[in-house]
Amino acid sequence: MFCIAAFIVLLFMAAISARYRRYLAKAASCTLRRVTFRPCDTTFKQDLKDHMLAPLAARRPGLVGPASVALEVVAFLVVLTTIWSGYVVVESAANLYVYGTCNKQDSASCSLGAEACSIPDQTPTFGESLAAWDVVGAFGNDFVRLGETFSAIPSRMQNWDASEYLPANATYLNGPDAKKETALEVIDPGCTYCLQLFQNIEKAGFADRRNLSYIAFPIQSATGYKFPNSLLVTQYLEALRLNPLADAKTPVDWQILKRIYTEENDEGVSWQSVINGADSAETTALLQEWAQEFGLSRAQVDTVASVAGSTEVAQVIAHNKTLVEERIHTVKIPTIIFDGRRHDGLVSVDDLD
Amino acid sequence: MKHNGLFRRATPEAIRTDRLADFSYLDPGVVYLDSACQSLRPQPVLDALTEYYTSYNACGGRVKYAWGRRVDDEVAAARQGVLGLLGLSGRHYAVSFTLNTTFGLNLLLQQLPHGRYARVVTSHIEHNSVFLPTMTAAKRLGIPRLLLDRAADGALLYEPARLERAIVVVNAASNIDGRLLTNLADLVRDTHARGGIVILDAAQAMAHERALLQKTDADAICFSAHKMYGASLGVIVARRELLASLELAFVGGGMVADVREDSYDLLPNDPGALLEPGLQAWAEIIALRGATDWIGRVRPGGRLPTEHLSALSERLFDSLSDIPGLTMVNAAASPVISVYAAKQDSHRLAVFLSQSGIAARSGYFCAHHYLKQRLGLPPLLRFSLGLHSTMADVDRAHDALARLMKGLS
Repeated sequence: MFCIAAFIVLLFMAAISARYRRYLAKAASCTLRRVTFRPCDTTFKQDLKDHMLAPLAARRPGLVGPASVALEVVAFLVVLTTIWSGYVVVESAANLYVYGTCNKQDSASCSLGAEACSIPDQTPTFGESLAAWDVVGAFGNDFVRLGETFSAIPSRMQNWDASEYLPANATYLNGPDAKKETALEVIDPGCTYCLQLFQNIEKAGFADRRNLSYIAFPIQSATGYKFPNSLLVTQYLEALRLNPLADAKTPVDWQILKRIYTEENDEGVSWQSVINGADSAETTALLQEWAQEFGLSRAQVDTVASVAGSTEVAQVIAHNKTLVEERIHTVKIPTIIFDGRRHDGLVSVDDLD
Repeated sequence: MKHNGLFRRATPEAIRTDRLADFSYLDPGVVYLDSACQSLRPQPVLDALTEYYTSYNACGGRVKYAWGRRVDDEVAAARQGVLGLLGLSGRHYAVSFTLNTTFGLNLLLQQLPHGRYARVVTSHIEHNSVFLPTMTAAKRLGIPRLLLDRAADGALLYEPARLERAIVVVNAASNIDGRLLTNLADLVRDTHARGGIVILDAAQAMAHERALLQKTDADAICFSAHKMYGASLGVIVARRELLASLELAFVGGGMVADVREDSYDLLPNDPGALLEPGLQAWAEIIALRGATDWIGRVRPGGRLPTEHLSALSERLFDSLSDIPGLTMVNAAASPVISVYAAKQDSHRLAVFLSQSGIAARSGYFCAHHYLKQRLGLPPLLRFSLGLHSTMADVDRAHDALARLMKGLS
């Protein structure tokens, strides 16, 4: 173990100074033999330990024994942490490639990927499992997550066609045009990055060049929903899709989304923030008011309100959830599919151009 | 030892010594006890080296300008100085210079004539410089190699009949425990009586045990100048007849009188040159003269070198014998003393001693067969004294090792 630890340390030191390279060669030879379950054929380990312990031996020879044991323990920890670090790097790199985030469980915490609202993994983290003394679960869950990531690699490499993932009753911001390519975004009405994406889409004129549709995906959390009114808004959006307003130039559900993402109330507060801070009654009132403003009659609004709480809408939302989690495999909201790729997280105006 | 905190390097305190002024350059914080590997060089030897490089840096044996003539004179004096130390006559012996003892032994053994000798005889206790070349020589000559034991007093244990036309190659002093080839005179007589030759590895004997070698009738004596206070250089002192019998395989410039298309004439009346192909280490040869002169006149503490070393050896042997946990390899005091601790690795002890400024050797000292295979010993810790050594050095080495052994037990 000491040889391997020395090799790890020397690997870095030799990169900085040629002085350590001859030791590195010895350590490498020793490490190779140890990892192939053969005894080290040099005195490298002993030499290194002796030189490290020599200053102590000159002053407190009696402490050499305990210090020697301590060195072995430190070496063990160095090797352990290096192996774990290597594992984390591989796992993070795979996650970054597949999901656009190095932390699949909490995608927003990874600064390497695009900004996004994360879809939290409900399984306990490694640390949480360890804290609960569930060592098997800690490693087991992590290996399962790594397995899922690797199994999703082919889906990342595929050519993404948004039309294959459209939800039932899909609506388009600017109406469908057979000549245009379909683009599909997965959004949560309460997610601020979805707001920014929508604004980028508008600035880039993205929806003018593509048939832009969406899947409303209220992000769940351990205690309910990440944004408390996202489910309610989603229910209304799906109800509006089931009961579209005839002759509407822009579907009403899109108009509501556009308001949430681009407009502010009289106090200059974005409607998204207002809804995120409102209770369900206030949100319901707002949605019904906007529906009427966008052309629905009172009776139609009542119908929509009724459908929003129906089993049918619940089934649509559940179906969409399955679509996002099991087919699109994203852990970041927003996600948008276009140009044969799945873009996880916020996409800039330039990239949308 | 001055302590500067638990993990910072200790600053060795200067020690009052009666060290020879010729070693005054030596760091007082260092106790050098590895003279068996190479001795420290006294100031006159260093001066001789410097003077050559700065005053008459010329090739020897081939130039006519003044510097070259001086080099030739100095080299001749160096050869004479070696013969003088050994009490040998230039009429019967020639001196050749080479790289080291190992190289010298190989030069002789690998060029001995075929058909003249019936066996190679050596002992188990030999240094690899003897042990290995005797293997290759026996193989080359197509004759058996006979391994003999050495008695505790160093005598080679042999039956005279086994020396028939033998090439006997043995050390005159062991580099493990300093034991001497006490029956050298008998061995030479018995070997010669049966048509054999005796080649001595005198690497450890030349510096401090020359009495054993002086006026010996051995056919060749190989040693290293760097183990006898000279610069790095090998020396071969060989009988002229032996040199003349060699089947020369290493030839080149510096040893020929004339060269034709397919033949050459060796230098006449210069058998020493037969083992000196190519340009020589002139500075080192000249420094050897400084070393032989110095050894002849130095009187540490007003005593003869042998008396000085004997007193130090006794003190070191007695004090090490008293340290619990140490096993002495030596049967008696000697300038070379080896020990081991059953529960401590000798390499570790050597590293730890180094931290206290003690330079001692650890390992098998190129005697793997004897120590590791035959005796089954772990690596040893070796202390070897030189004329630079003092009582204070010995005491300091003992104190450091005793403290270590106590603390580590």
